[in-house]
Amino acid sequence: MGKAGNIAQSFVCSDCNYLSDTVINICGIMSVFCSIKPLDKHVFHLYFMAMLFIKRGNLDQLLKSLTGDYRVYVPHRMGNSTGYSQLSESDTDYEIGEIRSFDPLKSFYFLGREKVAEDFKPDILRDDKPPCIVGAKACDLKGFRILDFVFIDDEFGDPTYMKAREDGLIISADCTGFNETCFCTAVDINPWPESDFDVNLSPIEDGFIVNTGSDKGRDLIESNKNLFTEATEAHAEAIDQNRKTIKSGVAKSAKELRIPVPDRLSRVIEKQYESNIWKEASEDCVECGACNTICPTCHCFLLYDQKSDSRLARFRIWDSCMIHDFARVAGGENPRDRLWMRLRNRFDKKFTYFPEVLKEIGCTGCGRCISACPGKIDIREVLARLEV
Amino acid sequence: MNNPYRSIEAEVLKVTTETPSIKTFLLKPKEELTFKPGQFMEFSVPGSGEAPFTPSSDSHINDTMEITIVKVGKVTDAIHELKPGDTVGLRGPLGKGYPLTKFIGQDVIVIGGGVGLAPVRTLMYGLFHMRDQLSGLIYRGGCRNPKEFLYRKELEKWMKRDDINMKLTVDEGDASWKGPVGVVTTIMDNIDVNFDRAKAIVCGPPIMMKFATFKLQELGVQDRNIYLSMEKNMSCGFGKCGHCRIGPYYCCKDGPVFTYDMIREYPGIWE
Repeated sequence: MGKAGNIAQSFVCSDCNYLSDTVINICGIMSVFCSIKPLDKHVFHLYFMAMLFIKRGNLDQLLKSLTGDYRVYVPHRMGNSTGYSQLSESDTDYEIGEIRSFDPLKSFYFLGREKVAEDFKPDILRDDKPPCIVGAKACDLKGFRILDFVFIDDEFGDPTYMKAREDGLIISADCTGFNETCFCTAVDINPWPESDFDVNLSPIEDGFIVNTGSDKGRDLIESNKNLFTEATEAHAEAIDQNRKTIKSGVAKSAKELRIPVPDRLSRVIEKQYESNIWKEASEDCVECGACNTICPTCHCFLLYDQKSDSRLARFRIWDSCMIHDFARVAGGENPRDRLWMRLRNRFDKKFTYFPEVLKEIGCTGCGRCISACPGKIDIREVLARLEV
Repeated sequence: MNNPYRSIEAEVLKVTTETPSIKTFLLKPKEELTFKPGQFMEFSVPGSGEAPFTPSSDSHINDTMEITIVKVGKVTDAIHELKPGDTVGLRGPLGKGYPLTKFIGQDVIVIGGGVGLAPVRTLMYGLFHMRDQLSGLIYRGGCRNPKEFLYRKELEKWMKRDDINMKLTVDEGDASWKGPVGVVTTIMDNIDVNFDRAKAIVCGPPIMMKFATFKLQELGVQDRNIYLSMEKNMSCGFGKCGHCRIGPYYCCKDGPVFTYDMIREYPGIWE
């Protein structure tokens, strides 16, 4: 497919979907090496894919065809924002592009309240179709990097999360707008997906430019070839233009707020660990936990055994580190007895813990916590105040 | 796929009342369940809840397990109601436990306090099993008063062994108590070992752990050789639920035993 002029090269790690620009030559085969994983494990597929175009009507058809195998979730306009709901038979009213939805995508992989064990049976209780998320944004995808690190492992991996991630499909999209709370560029994310997707859609007039990010995405396109056409130079230029505009818009507002640069985030928290800023910033917190619930990287939960009869029914319920008893132990000791300690802990987890253990900032710059906070606590302002 | 949230069924075989607020439960898991000293279990009463506890029995015994539990809250209230024949749940073993092989050839100092004597009992069995591979073995145990001493008869038996240097103390004595009176740090002098190389294990209430750690430092024990059994709020027990974070670690997954040098810089470790 494609002419030399509009061939897009996606160098994607087939294992972790890391997108790389480093190409190495092993045994005469062009391969891609994923720079965030060990060399010996990862010699990768190289996708020479033509940049493709899909009309909006064809996308409707494609998504409809996916509802047999997946729970397909699409963003719909809800007031000033968009929210996800499951695609129904005749639904063509969804909105790709714009900005991230108000609801975090973790809710489709890691339910707010989910029965995870019953009696003493080893069964995995949730057994529905895998999710297909349409229109996920770059900040949403970054959230999965954090959640994958937490929930995927051989011995104690969360079975329902792992299954949803493994079998699920992600059809992401470029942002075509930004709002007042967006600050992804301040945490090293561009407002368009670069990795961690199966297929990416870049909205242009009448349709979308399509990029592939995984084997699963490639297979999807291969088996629906008739729905796609080749993209043109003009299409490619239109996306580039959109990406530049959105990025500079987000970057401008992040710069005006004087958010510390990514490399300094953990250093300012360390430096200001004993500062009064935490006390001042937490004054308006009402401990509702909305910032945690809405955050795409917050993963904390509580295992709760239902108190009904003598049967054992265990639920995994989202929890919030801002709530007083989060770290309290039986007997009453509480290492984070004061609200400001809990606020500091929240920042410490995102800007110190995850960079230390995963080399990733635990914040996606999505700004959901800013919109959700009834006390109007703004994560960007707190970060800016820490940089003295 | 493995379900890490699932408990295995166990039967309560025997309940021993140790003190008015502490009971020991002898449990028989219906499936194979082995553990290492220092590892912990999530113990559940169906319909009442789940909480983490360290076993108190010999880890070399494979078919049963003892857990000693203080009554302090909702879950432990329900546990204290248990009778022989009742069904409970066990999830684990969780955590890393004590690195016993690192103790080979070394002097080992064990400091236990209060209900911390329960996990220490498992550790002591482990150390007795490998006694010929250790250099000195020193045990210092403390409690508020003689009535609160867990496994007192067993401790008295250990006192008679000639392969252990053992002393016990109480904060407040009574007519039955012939030993020293004072907090555990008051019986930590006159230990004849090379502190610079010795391994020390501390397990007990937070305040006791704190002062015992400072005392060990004062005696010359290296921070990297002080093993602390940390207690934090733990829900899942395998590093996912986020409750028990200490700096870059999770108490459950990376501990609950930490050397002092790993955690000394983080706030709230003694709370």
